[in-house]
Amino acid sequence: MVDDTEKFKNLSETLGEAHVKTEPKITAQYTVDNVVPRAVVFPKNTDQISEVVKFANRENLAIVTRGSGTKMAMGNPPRKLDLVVCTSRMNHMLDVDTSNLTMTVEAGVKFRDIQARLATQEDRCYLPLGDLEAEGDEIICSDRSHSGCFVPIDPPYADKATIGGIIATNSTGPRRLLYNLPRDCIIGIRVVAPNGDVLGSGGKTVKNVSGYDVSKLMVGSMGTLGILCETTLRMLPLPEKMETLLVSFANFSDASAFAGRIFETSLLPAAVEIMNGEAFGHLSLDDKPDFGSNGYVAAIALEAFEPAVDRMRIEMLNMAKEAGAGANAVFEEEDHRSFWLAMSNLSATLDKKFSGFIKAKLNYPLSMWKNIIASGESIFSEANLDYIVQAHAGNGICFTGLLVDNNDTSATDKAVEAMNQLLAYCQEVDGNLVIQSAPADVKSNLRIWGKIGFDFVVMKRLKDQLDPKGIMSPGRFVEGL
Amino acid sequence: MDKQKLIASLNEIVGPDNVLSSEMDLMLYSYDASLDKAKPDVVVLPDSTEEVSKIMALAYKEKIPILGRGSGTNLTGGTVPIKGGIVVHFSRMNRILEIDYANRTATVQPGVITLDLQTEVLKKGFVYQPDPASQKVSTIGGNVSENSGGPHCLKYGVTSNHVQGLEVVLNDGTVINTGGKARDNAGYDITALVVGSEGTVGLVTKAILKLERAPESVKTLLAIFDAIEDGANTVSAIVAEGIIPATLEMMDNTVMRAVEETIKVGYPLDAACVLIIELDGMPEGMDDNASKIVEICRQNHVRDVRLAKDEAERNVLWAGRKGAFGSVGQVRPSYLCCDGTVPRTKLPEVLNQVIEIGKKYNLPIGNVFHAGDGNLHPLIMFDERDEDERSRVLKASTEILKACADAGGTISGEHGVGMEKLKETAFIFNECDLEFERQIKRAFDPDDIINPGKMIPANS
Ligand SMILES: Cc1cc2nc3c(=O)[nH]c(=O)nc-3n(C[C@H](O)[C@H](O)[C@H](O)COP(=O)(O)OP(=O)(O)OC[C@H]3O[C@@H](n4cnc5c(N)ncnc54)[C@H](O)[C@@H]3O)c2cc1C
Repeated sequence: MVDDTEKFKNLSETLGEAHVKTEPKITAQYTVDNVVPRAVVFPKNTDQISEVVKFANRENLAIVTRGSGTKMAMGNPPRKLDLVVCTSRMNHMLDVDTSNLTMTVEAGVKFRDIQARLATQEDRCYLPLGDLEAEGDEIICSDRSHSGCFVPIDPPYADKATIGGIIATNSTGPRRLLYNLPRDCIIGIRVVAPNGDVLGSGGKTVKNVSGYDVSKLMVGSMGTLGILCETTLRMLPLPEKMETLLVSFANFSDASAFAGRIFETSLLPAAVEIMNGEAFGHLSLDDKPDFGSNGYVAAIALEAFEPAVDRMRIEMLNMAKEAGAGANAVFEEEDHRSFWLAMSNLSATLDKKFSGFIKAKLNYPLSMWKNIIASGESIFSEANLDYIVQAHAGNGICFTGLLVDNNDTSATDKAVEAMNQLLAYCQEVDGNLVIQSAPADVKSNLRIWGKIGFDFVVMKRLKDQLDPKGIMSPGRFVEGL
Repeated sequence: MDKQKLIASLNEIVGPDNVLSSEMDLMLYSYDASLDKAKPDVVVLPDSTEEVSKIMALAYKEKIPILGRGSGTNLTGGTVPIKGGIVVHFSRMNRILEIDYANRTATVQPGVITLDLQTEVLKKGFVYQPDPASQKVSTIGGNVSENSGGPHCLKYGVTSNHVQGLEVVLNDGTVINTGGKARDNAGYDITALVVGSEGTVGLVTKAILKLERAPESVKTLLAIFDAIEDGANTVSAIVAEGIIPATLEMMDNTVMRAVEETIKVGYPLDAACVLIIELDGMPEGMDDNASKIVEICRQNHVRDVRLAKDEAERNVLWAGRKGAFGSVGQVRPSYLCCDGTVPRTKLPEVLNQVIEIGKKYNLPIGNVFHAGDGNLHPLIMFDERDEDERSRVLKASTEILKACADAGGTISGEHGVGMEKLKETAFIFNECDLEFERQIKRAFDPDDIINPGKMIPANS
């Protein structure tokens, strides 16, 4: 192994020795799909990131950016990896403008810290403040704005993920039904381009058509077009009332009929999540109602004015009954928030329990959701696999995970085969299946990004133009971009 | 390529009836709703993606400038062919191809008139949200390319938030599909890049648009103020209170007078300005919100707040707002609309600056705009034939945009940069920002033949 200390000396001078790590003991903790980087760096601001990228250009080093590391299992294994750039020190909230309903933060700020900062004086927050343990001496939300606002994104790993990682991976959750996507709430960015230039796009106005929408181009680009350093987001006032309805059903058919009824009305739930008993069973939540493990559970998030929530509860519980619902439960306020945090951590929970956990995100035209889930169920049960299904009804998105042990090679083989079969089915109905996480050694047998459309020609042209040396996350994105 | 040969080749693609090249025709395609003018060499009216692809391939082979045109209502010179060449007019590609209620999408050709689609889907209780005031005339292709906004974009977002997929003909004639009926497609969000690209990356031949269920109830208020400042303060106070109405539009006295001359809405002509405030969604909680808004208006010295009693009254209020630009023609023959946008809290301050700039250059300025978005539209009124006046207008407009940029805003909220604001991009972008945009342009169009000279200033 080459000793890289000398090589990275230059960087140490810029960032400070403590923030450039080349010791194998440390680099081993920052592997990407088992590939070990030669150095891990911790820049503290945008200018330092720019220095790092310029250095990488000169030395021809491949960079992977990392936030909290919750989604490092996404994507293909890197074709080449030299530097892992961590954004953890870029954790400043630069501007919280509650009267304008916008905020600007650095990429390494954790999503939970953003929400906590916006909590009301009475600690009413979009996330359950009580459930968020402070890590080390890190203080959650040092400087409260007491605005009673929130950033309307509902990502997985809501208590760990950084805003930069959320945007780079286009992370969304069940409540996108009401609040839309990161692409809809991002209004400005500062990015370090692959050549090291610092550039900006958008700003603090909610409308802006001056130039190409570079902010949206960065959403979901997995760090392949530059390093996101700062972002400006829209906020919303916290809903007056927050409540969850949980309803159990004997099977998917009844649960989906219930969801279908909701979408025939003009009611405005924040989320209609349909999950199988297995998924519900694994939710890490105190005081979880016992719905048995065979059926399906519908979880409805209601976030609106109080009278609107009241009306939706009454009407939806009626609809549920008509659809043949079993038991139900209602969670209010803090219990509601804890529930959705547990939902956002479901895959983290399963990842810990099952060493060979494979998780996939399926997308498809809205109306195909019943066929997709039926097909998933039949493929998985035929292969005798344990699985979770978690559909964001009304969004055309479903997550599914196979609960396998990595040592069980036969189960792993079957899991891979099943995912490939389901991908084929998704493609048939103009959808896709993207692997969200899988053990590194299994990845080579999976089509991580599924099917890519005809617009790949443009993606390739953009990548070649913007990152001609191919140093930003090489190989990890679609078709090995 | 020699012009006769070009015409002959185009004749072969679309038939001679659909190729226009008389002096008169070229003149008609030399302008849009901006102040700029330049004639194309030829205009072609394709009827299918295939024809567009062939036209593009021809332009590519011969390196002829080419641009798409919807209804030519853009306000920034987006359809002015400054380098000549081919104008592709999408008026024949105006079919609604499919309305798929089960999947909540509409698939349309680019020449479809915005309002036609909206009227069609409303019959089934659905809406396509983006509603530029020009919706009676503007096309979906134009809306997509300009990323148009409209009064209801305050709550629902602009065109970009409602486009799920596109079919685009690339520089060499290749046809690609971006996005689709399924959301969250893997890869770069090419749809988002094409939307708002002002026709500089390719020709859009199809759009898959998102439909939503029409809101269950709607409440429309008219708040009347004796001072502009009070109106502006009300706007930022409403948003600061955490209320996001569906719309929050402002119209000043100058514009109200012009509107009353033509449409007769019954606006109070002695008032300084009015706000049109609309709430929509589930009716529960709406009354409370309306009361809060009325209270905020009162705190800001409102003269009167009226509630539209029924659909008819509501329509009248909106007819005035949507007809405002047109009515301004009553005051002076021409107008220039500045599209500067500011963080909403800066509205009162910047509106004052606009008034001062009007005084400084001795020009009448009317204001009718998307106040809740912080998106100003000062209409500087003048007579285009008066050279001196025209040059003062351009100076005033630049100064207004500078004021917006200095307030932390931007030079365009929804009309685009076009050729009109190339210089002003310097107020908000540095050379690195611009170079990144040029790289994006080069990725799509290395020969710079697609709507050249727009949106990004040439390398200095
Ligand atoms: C009275 C009035 C009111 C207005 N109100 C609003 C408003 O409220 N909100 C708002 O945002 N705008 C408004 N506008 C501006 C204008 O109407 C919009 O920009 C509209 O979207 C333009 O549509 P169009 O069909 O006229 O496009 P055009 O003007 O024909 O074209 C606009 C741009 O799109 C490109 N283009 C058109 N079709 C295609 C295609 N198929 N493929 C590729 N490129 C294409 C053109 O090259 C050009 O760059 C208003 C304009 C007027 C005159």
